[in-house]
Amino acid sequence: MKESFFQRKGVKTFLASLISIMIGMVAGIIVIIVVGLTNSTIADSTIWDGIRLVVMGVFSKGRDAVGNLTFGFNPAFFGNMLFRAMPLILTGLSVAVAYKTGLFNIGAPGQYLAGICATLFVALSIPTSSVAPWIVWTLAFLAGMLAGALWGCIPGLLKSLLNINEVIACIMTNWLAACLVTWAFDVSSLKNVIEGTKTGYIYKTAMIINDYELGGVVGVAGPELPEGATLLATRGNVATAKMGLDRLFAGSQVNGGILIAIVFAILLYVIMEKTTLGYQLKACGSNRHAAKYAGIHDKRNIVLSMGIAGAMAGAAGSLYGLSGNTEFFWATYQSLPAVGFTGIAVSLLAVNNPIGVIFSGVFMSFLNVNGLQLTNQTAYNENITDVIISVIVYLSAFSMLIRSLMEKKKEKPKTASSGEVKA
Amino acid sequence: MDDPSQGNSDYVIEMNHIRKEFAGIVANDDITLQLRRGEIHALLGENGAGKSTLMSVLFGLYKPDGGEIRKNGQVVKINSPNDATALHIGMVHQHFKLIEVFTVLDNIILGAEDTKFGFLSRKEARARITELSEKYGLRVDLDAKIEDTTVGMQQRVEILKMLYRDNEILIFDEPTAVLTPSEIDELMKIMKNLAAEGKSLLFISHKLNEIMEVSDRVTVLRKGKYVGTVNTKDTNKQELSNMMVGRPVQLVVEKGEAVPGDVILDVSHFSVPSRIHSRNAVSDVSFQVREGEILCIAGIDGNGQTDLVYGLTGIEKSNGGTVSLCGRDITRLSVKKRGEDMSHIPEDRHKHGLILDFTLEQNMVLQRFLEAEFQNRQFIRFNAVREYTQELIERFDVRSALGPLTRARSMSGGNQQKAVIARELDRNKKLIVAVQPTRGLDVGAIEFVHSELVKERDAGKAILLVSLELDEVMSLSDRILVMYEGEIVGEFDPKKVTVQELGLYMTGARRQDGKGGATA
Repeated sequence: MKESFFQRKGVKTFLASLISIMIGMVAGIIVIIVVGLTNSTIADSTIWDGIRLVVMGVFSKGRDAVGNLTFGFNPAFFGNMLFRAMPLILTGLSVAVAYKTGLFNIGAPGQYLAGICATLFVALSIPTSSVAPWIVWTLAFLAGMLAGALWGCIPGLLKSLLNINEVIACIMTNWLAACLVTWAFDVSSLKNVIEGTKTGYIYKTAMIINDYELGGVVGVAGPELPEGATLLATRGNVATAKMGLDRLFAGSQVNGGILIAIVFAILLYVIMEKTTLGYQLKACGSNRHAAKYAGIHDKRNIVLSMGIAGAMAGAAGSLYGLSGNTEFFWATYQSLPAVGFTGIAVSLLAVNNPIGVIFSGVFMSFLNVNGLQLTNQTAYNENITDVIISVIVYLSAFSMLIRSLMEKKKEKPKTASSGEVKA
Repeated sequence: MDDPSQGNSDYVIEMNHIRKEFAGIVANDDITLQLRRGEIHALLGENGAGKSTLMSVLFGLYKPDGGEIRKNGQVVKINSPNDATALHIGMVHQHFKLIEVFTVLDNIILGAEDTKFGFLSRKEARARITELSEKYGLRVDLDAKIEDTTVGMQQRVEILKMLYRDNEILIFDEPTAVLTPSEIDELMKIMKNLAAEGKSLLFISHKLNEIMEVSDRVTVLRKGKYVGTVNTKDTNKQELSNMMVGRPVQLVVEKGEAVPGDVILDVSHFSVPSRIHSRNAVSDVSFQVREGEILCIAGIDGNGQTDLVYGLTGIEKSNGGTVSLCGRDITRLSVKKRGEDMSHIPEDRHKHGLILDFTLEQNMVLQRFLEAEFQNRQFIRFNAVREYTQELIERFDVRSALGPLTRARSMSGGNQQKAVIARELDRNKKLIVAVQPTRGLDVGAIEFVHSELVKERDAGKAILLVSLELDEVMSLSDRILVMYEGEIVGEFDPKKVTVQELGLYMTGARRQDGKGGATA
C-alpha cells in the first residue's frame, strides 16, 4: 500500500503536467487557426499544415513533389532536438536544485554566461599542439562548471550572510556577468579574425587556430599557414565527443553533451532523494528554522545549493560552447541568454523533479524545433511556439490546482487502511 | 433531556444527530448539541474527537452527511460561512484570520463595510465599535496595525468582528491556546460579559480549569461519538476527564522524591541579546540543573524564557557568561555539538520542531540522519529510518493517516507534539530541555508526557522545563525558578510555595535578591 501511494502521487503529478501541455497545445492550435484566418498572406489551406507542424514538426520530412507535407522519422531534426535540449535540461536542473532548497535561482543566465566564458577561454588558450585535446576539453568543462558555481555562490553568500533576497542578487549578478563577459572577450585575443566576415564572434572551439611567426611578427591563421611562416602553436580542435550519436541522428548537431546532461539529472535525483546531503538541502529549503534547530548548517547549505545550481547552469554554457560548431556572439551583450530563463519553465513543468527535467527539457526543445519547421515550411511566424510555451508555463503553475481537482474526483473510494487513523 | 427530534425553541441552536464522514473516517457519529440562549456551552474532547468538525458543520465549512440543524426551533440549511453569518453565527478561529498590515478598525469592518457614495464611511463604524468595545470591556486600539498588536488584542479584534456583525451565537475554537495567563483571565471575564448580555457562546477547549470556571454546561465528545452533556456545577474535573478519555485519568502527576546527582548543566552569568530591543532579553542568569531532577522555569510569557532556551541550545548567540554541559564548556559550540548531550522539545513545533512538508519518518531523524544507523556512505538507509519511526509510533502512540509516510502537516497538533516528544526523548541525552511540552495536548496526552518526563528524571536525566502553566509547574517540578524581565527573581521548592506567591514574583511585585520588594 505504501508503494502504491507514492506511485499514485507520481502519476498524478505527471498527469497534471500532461494536462498543462495538452491545454497549451490546444491554445497554440487556436492561435494558429485565428492567425491563419485573419492574416491575408496565409492561405486557409496552410492552417492544417501549421497545426501539424506545431504538434509534430520534428517528424517533418519536407514537402513532396506535389507540395504536401510528409512526415516520418527525421534523424537530423530529432538530433537537433536533443542538441537543443542539452542546455535546457541543465539550466532546468539548476533552477530545480535551488528550488528544493527553497531558493529561486533566476540567476541561471548569468551562471550560463560565466560558464561559457571560462570554458571558451580555457579551450581556446591552451595549445592543443602540446596538450591533448581531450585534456583541454576536460579542463575547459570543469572551468565552466566552476565559474558557474562561483557565480551562483555570490547570491548564495549574500542570502546566507546578509539575508539579501536571492532573486534581487541573481538579477544583479546576471547583468554583472553580461557586462564582465563582454569586456573579457573584448580585451581577449579570442575574437574570430580568421573568418574575417564574422566580427563580434568568438572562435568555434572545433576550429584549428595556428599561431605563427613571420619576420618577427606574430599572427594567427587557420589550417593554412602563410608562405614562409614558422608555426608556434596550434589551438582549438576541441569539441565534445559525438559518442556515436552522429551516426544515430545523421545530419544533426547532437553530441555527447545530451548524455552528460542526462547523467547529471540522474545524479542530482540520487543526491536529492537518497543521500544525507539532499536531505539537508531539502530540510533547509522547507523550514530553515527547524533545520537550524536540528543542528543542520543552514547557511552553508544555502551557499552549497546555489553553488550546485550555478555549476549546472555553467555546465549548460560550457557544453554549448564545447559542442565545437556553435558560435558565441559577444559584442556588446544586449540581452541575457534566453536558455537561462527557459530553465525556469523547464523546472516548473517538471515540478522541480530532476528526472522530470530531462523530459520537460526535451519537450521544450521539441517545441523549439517544431517552431523552426513552422517558419521554414509555412508563412507562419516562429513566435507562435513561444505562445504555446508561455501558455504551458502559465498552466504548469496551476498544475497543483489540476492535481487537487483530480484528487477530488478520485478520492471517493478509499482504502480501509487509512480509516483507522484518526480515532 | 428533551427529545431532540422535536424542535424546541428554548434552544437557540440545536444540532441533532449530526454525522460527518471523511473518506471512511467517521469524524462525527450521531452527535447532538443543544445551545441555550445566553449560556456558555463548552465542547470538550481529546485531539481528534470531532469538536472542530462539528463546529465547522455549524459554521457551514462542511456539509453534514446526516442530521439537522435548527435555529430557534426552525430547521436551517447552512451551506457556507455566508449562510452562517446570515443566521448570526460567528466564529473566532484558533488561528486568527486578520490582515496584518490593516488597522484594527479596517479589519473589523472588512467585508461588512458601510459606504457612502461608494466611499468607506469609517466614522459611523468607529462610533459603533467604540460603543461595543466599551459595553463588553474589549480594549482595542482602533488605529493600531494588527502586526503591532498583542495576540490578546488580536483575539479581542476577532470578537469585535463578530459583535459588529450582530452575531448572537459565538463560537470560540480553543481561544486560550495562544494566550498568556493574564490574557486568559481577561478573556474569561469578556466571555461572561457576553453571556450576560444574552449572547450564546460555544466554547471549544480541552482545558478543564477554564471549562470549570466559565461554562454553564459541557458536552463531551470522544472519538467522534457523543458521550453526554452535563451541568458544570454538578460535575468536577476528574469526572469530565474520565468522560473525555474513557478511562480514569491521573490528573495529579505521580512521582517520588527527586534524587539529584551530579551537575549536568551549569549556567553562569549568562546573557542573551534581545531580537526586538537593545537591552538583553536574558541578563546575568545563573543556575544549575542536576541529574535526576526537574528544574522548572516559570514566568509570564515574554520574560526571556524563550531567549534563554535559544541561547542555551545555540539557536541564538549569547553575549555574556558561560554554559557548561556535562563538564564541557559549550558557550561557543554549534547547535549540533550541543546536541550531543542535549535534547530539546521546542516551544514552537511548527517553526522549530518539525518540517511540515516532510514525512513523519523524515522528521524523526532530523538530528540523527548522519548517524551510522541511518546512513551508509552518505546514502540514507530508508528501511532503518522506517523501522525506527514505526517503533517510535508504537511506543509513543503517535496517530497518523499513513504511518511513517504521513506528511507532518496533515497530522493533528497533538500528534505532532507527540512525534516531537518521541524523537527528543528517544535521543536519550543527559539533558532534556522541554519548553511547554504539553501545549495543545489533551488530558490523556498530558498525563502521558508528564509520566514520561518523570520516568526520564528517575532514569537520571537532568530536565529543564519551561512552562507557562502554573499547574504544570507546581505538579511536575522539583525546583522552580521564576523569571521576570530576563532575570531570575526567585528560587522555590514547589512543596513550600503557593501559586499566589509565585504569581507575585512572576509579575515583578517581589524578588528574592532584595533589589525589588520584600524577600521571600
